[in-house]
Amino acid sequence: MRQAGTYSGLLSKMSGRAGTHSLPLARIKKIMKKSGDDVKMISGEAPIVFSKACELFIEELTKRSWTMTMQGKRRTLLKDDVASAVIATDIFDFLLTLVSES
Amino acid sequence: MVEEQDKLLPIANVGKIMKQILPPRAKISKEAKQTMQECATEFISFVTGEASDKCHKENRKTVNGDDICWALSTLGFDNYTEAIVRYLHKYREAERERAKNQSKVTATSSNEEKAKESSSHKTSKQTTSVQQIDETSSAPSELRALKKGKSSLTNPP
Repeated sequence: MRQAGTYSGLLSKMSGRAGTHSLPLARIKKIMKKSGDDVKMISGEAPIVFSKACELFIEELTKRSWTMTMQGKRRTLLKDDVASAVIATDIFDFLLTLVSES
Repeated sequence: MVEEQDKLLPIANVGKIMKQILPPRAKISKEAKQTMQECATEFISFVTGEASDKCHKENRKTVNGDDICWALSTLGFDNYTEAIVRYLHKYREAERERAKNQSKVTATSSNEEKAKESSSHKTSKQTTSVQQIDETSSAPSELRALKKGKSSLTNPP
């Protein structure tokens, strides 16, 4: 069995057991590498740390966006709710350009 | 701006995480999922950039899990650290179990595989320590750092 197969098999088993969601590690690694020219080597654990960090990030931004949705007395979370949540949260300042562009 | 889909996190995974955290009757527009997909991708780039700068300043070539945790904390996401440490421990535990079971079952077949693989190929994989996760067995430094409590992960600021 190829090691990569062992690994992804392990991760899907782990999600089932731990009830956590996994984001594809290869994709995370790709995004990391694209982030800068000087990102050349990435340890095995870095994408794993990110898979959890991204999950937490998405959860936090979603919760904050939902607050905006409720303020508008709606039940459908819209793009503008995400933008409002980004504007209202200091640590999401790095996303300001992204949400104002789209 | 339309991004190629393979440069973003998959929208299905992102949508699932969003759905899980919202009330059962909540709906999510497709555009909101797309925006979240882009934001999460940008999050990775942003944090990686910070971690990579640190490695560069310290003359290190490899961005590791500790660097990511440090960057998260520096950028204001320190409340994620505890959950990440727990997740890492669970992952390593699962990996140890997996390795134990595999070594019992595939002792013979793994010897055959080793004979087939060229030794230089395996060596180059280990030295770069980048692509394959099976190298956790040969990447003990992060494990040791966490166990000894030297890293920022286990020492509260």
